[in-house]
Parts: sequence; C-alpha cells; structure tokens
Amino acid sequence: MEELKAKILEYLAGVSKEKPRVIAEKIGANKKEVDKACSELAKEGKIEYLYIGTSYVTLAGRDHTPGKIKEE
Amino acid sequence: MTEAKKTPLLDELEKGPWPSFVTEIKKAAANSPSAQDLLGQLELSYEDKRGHWKHGGLVGVMGYGGGVIGRYSDIPEQFPNVEMFHTIRLNQPSGWYYNTKALRQICDLWEKYGSGLTNLHGSTGDLVLLGTRTENLQPFFDEVSNLEEHPFDLGGSGSNLRTPSCCAGPARCEFALIDTTDLCHDLTNEFQDYLHRPMWPYKSKIKISGCPNDCVASIARSDFSIQGTWRDDIKIDQEAVRAYVAEGFDIQGLVIDKCPTKCMSWDGNELTIDNANCTRCMHCINKMCKALRPGDDRGATILIGGKAPILQGAMMGWVIIPFMKLEPPYTELKEFLEKAWEWWDENGKTRERIGELILRLGMRNFLRAVGLEPVPQMVNAPRANPFFFWWPEETVQD
Ligand code: HEM
Ligand code: SF4
Ligand code: SF4
Repeated sequence: MEELKAKILEYLAGVSKEKPRVIAEKIGANKKEVDKACSELAKEGKIEYLYIGTSYVTLAGRDHTPGKIKEE
Repeated sequence: MTEAKKTPLLDELEKGPWPSFVTEIKKAAANSPSAQDLLGQLELSYEDKRGHWKHGGLVGVMGYGGGVIGRYSDIPEQFPNVEMFHTIRLNQPSGWYYNTKALRQICDLWEKYGSGLTNLHGSTGDLVLLGTRTENLQPFFDEVSNLEEHPFDLGGSGSNLRTPSCCAGPARCEFALIDTTDLCHDLTNEFQDYLHRPMWPYKSKIKISGCPNDCVASIARSDFSIQGTWRDDIKIDQEAVRAYVAEGFDIQGLVIDKCPTKCMSWDGNELTIDNANCTRCMHCINKMCKALRPGDDRGATILIGGKAPILQGAMMGWVIIPFMKLEPPYTELKEFLEKAWEWWDENGKTRERIGELILRLGMRNFLRAVGLEPVPQMVNAPRANPFFFWWPEETVQD
C-alpha cells in the first residue's frame, strides 16, 4: 500500500489533476486499490479532491482557485 | 457595511401570496454583509439575464472530497462580500427529524462562520448552509463535527455517493411498509467512504420511500430508488367499504375507475380486487384508508436509473428488483448496490450516470454483471416522462 501511495503521489506531481480511474490505468494498478490509497492519502493531507464538473484528485496545496490558475 | 442597494427586479418576487426568499434574504442582510451583496449580485444577474457565479476550485475540509460546493463571484470588485460564497452540505438525520437544540447549535455556528443563510432541505436532502469563505470551512467543520450533544457530519457532493435520504417513514406515517429511517441511517454508515471520497464517474444517489406514494420522489431523483411495497393481498374491510359508500363516497368514480390496472370491481355491496393484477400503486388505499390496508408480506421494489438531464434527457427509475425483503442488516441490498457500483465504475464514462450506462451498454450486460435473472416485472420506465401532465378536462377531480 505504501508503495502504491508513493506511485500515486509521483504521478500526481506531473499533472495538474486526474481521475482515480485514469491514475489506475496509467500506473497499472487496480482501481479499487487506488481508491483506497487515495482515501488514505486524503486523510493524511497529502492529496485533495477537486470538483470541476466531476471529481479529480490533486496534490495537496495546489492552488486551483478559479482565476488564479488556468485549468487545462 | 454597504448601503442597501435598490433591487426592483427582486422586489417583484415579494409580491404574491407565497413566502419569498427575497424577503428572507433582506432580513438577513440587516446583519450580514454577504447577504447584502448576495442581493446585489442576484439583482444584477436578473438585469444581465446571466448568472454571476462560477464554480470549481479546491474547497473542502481535510480528508474529505465532498460536502462543500465551491462558489465564487465573477464580479468580486462589485460584490466583495460574496467573492467566495461556498455552500456546505450537512448530513441530515433520517427523515429530517431534529430537536430545537440541534438546530440552534447549527444556526449559532453558521452565524459565526457563514452568511447565516440556510436552506432546509436542499433537493439532495442535506441541510444546506449557504455562503462562507474558504478559510472558514475547516474551523466550522471542526466545531460542528465535535458538538457535544448532536454532532453533524458533512453530506455528499462531487463524484461520489450523495447523502442517502428517506421519507418520514414509520416514525410519522401510517403507510410505511419498511423502516425507511433505519435503512437510510444504516446505508449512510455502511457507505461512509463512498460518501466522503469521490472515486466514481459521477454522482450516485439513493432515496428511500416507505411506500409507493414515494414522498421523496425517489423514482425521478435517484439512481437507486427504494420503495416499500407488499406482495400478498390488499386487506379489505367490507363493512368499512360499505360505510364509505353510505356516506356518499363516489367509490366508482374515485376508486374503481381510477385503478390503473382496472383490477377492482364493486357490485354495490362487495369490493373485489384481482390482486394478481394490482400494481400496488396505493391509490385505492390512499382514498379509503379506513377500509383498505396493504398486505402483511412487506419489502421493497428497487428501481434503477432515475436522474435529471445531463448526458441523456431526464429519466425515471427502471424496476430492477420487483420485490426484496428488507430487514437489518440489509445484506442482500448492500451486495446488490456494491455490484452495481462496481460495474458502473468500471464501464462508465466521466459524468455518465448508471441509468445512462445501462442505456448505452444494454440491460443484458447490466443484469449479467449484477447476477440478476430477467423477469417480466423489470418494467422499463414505468412512468416514462416526469414532465407529463394530463389534460384537466380528461381527469376526474375530487
Ligand atoms: C415489429 C418488429 C419488431 C419490433 C417492434 C422489435 C422490437 C424489439 C425490441 C423492443 C427489442 C429489445 C431491445 C432492447 O434490448 O431493449 C428487440 C430485440 C431484438 N430483436 Fe426485435 N423487433 C422487431 C423485429 C425484429 C426482427 C424482424 C428481428 C430479426 C429478424 C428482430 C431481432 C431482434 C433481436 C435479435 C433482438 C435482441 C437484440 C439483443 O441482443 O439485444 N427483431 N426487438
Ligand atoms: S412515501 Fe409512503 S411511507 Fe413515506 S411518508 Fe410518503 S406515504 Fe408515508
Ligand atoms: S393499489 Fe392501485 S393497482 Fe392496486 S388495486 Fe389499488 S388502485 Fe388498483
């Protein structure tokens, strides 16, 4: 689990935001495991959930306030 | 505080024999700068004929992915006090029962951290708190979730399970055929993680009605509509039926002719029901509740796929399980929900609800995935169109 969490953090470092399902595909992991890992990372304050029409996860502390940063 | 601005367009909404949200926001505006600016921005949007809210951004509380809906003004220079105006959803108790103390605690906290405006209850079911700034979210949540007597959790928002909600149920309604309040509470606890951490293609809703009267409109408003029903015969007290008729009750016009399956008959003395053809619509029981009662073999019908228009048009639920016994710990229901969610999560496109996915991939695929046998009662859209209205002259009014 710790290994998976590290992989997720590494993946998120390279993107602005992503859906857990895409992360699972990209890092070749099981979606349910990725969901669980994301829940833990959120509780640890390392990632945050972002809602723009649908939900994404993003590294904690990134500023997504509309107007402050351009969302792709 | 800014001078109260003129709001001629909003003032129109105060004219009429109904309560007006404008009147209420004006009252709140006396003490709340954000309520004041809310009126100003709303008036401007009526002039411009376009909204001035933008959503998005990252708002929420630590560890959660739902429960807060971010809202920002797109003209903050004009209305600085609603520059951020986030909505918080609180998970309501089953059936919306509160005591006054619980409500007072929330109101006090909301005056401290928010605009003081609330909306009981949003269409989702949650207790909705309107308007606060990002930096107030965490302190508010820390307090509300640690209240000594009646602590509250956040409800759902985002691509997750939305706060399950139910009708008043057996606590207040004679018609309840299942314990809606217990089931709602149980499912909320069971699926906490799905409620707080969005991981699905889009939202998923559960609404529970104790009987087919469907007071929470679950068939039109939820992906999983659970409605209490019975499968044995309607209980008839023939003496009581005769008493209705003796009092001048139009049994033919108001009951027999309005039975949707025409499975009832009245020979002037005896009421007969062909129960095999009754669809358990509740109409006759509602009309003659002293004479007719639902049967004793009770459970629920489960419908799937109700939703408002996003990808497809508005859809109403599709009967998927005609009858399921529903008693704690509700294992059969929970297993069904898990299987349905898993199939949807694996196959759904972003922003595709489960009903839309079933349309796209076919009921065959769904049934195989969740392991259900097709049966004739799996009626596609028992009522197809939520916007259908009968011609007044074609209906018999009471
Ligand atoms: C009056 C003519 C017809 C009507 C009204 C009709 C209607 C339907 C309907 C409503 C379905 C179910 C679709 C669903 O999955 O929801 C269906 C399926 C099907 N029909 Fe017909 N149909 C007609 C003629 C035919 C003919 C002439 C054939 C073959 C020569 C045919 C072959 C099939 C097949 C193979 C399916 C199953 C498709 C599947 O695997 O899902 N139908 N039809
Ligand atoms: S849905 Fe049925 S049980 Fe629930 S409040 Fe309405 S009439 Fe009562
Ligand atoms: S419940 Fe509805 S369908 Fe059944 S007998 Fe009464 S009116 Fe007819």
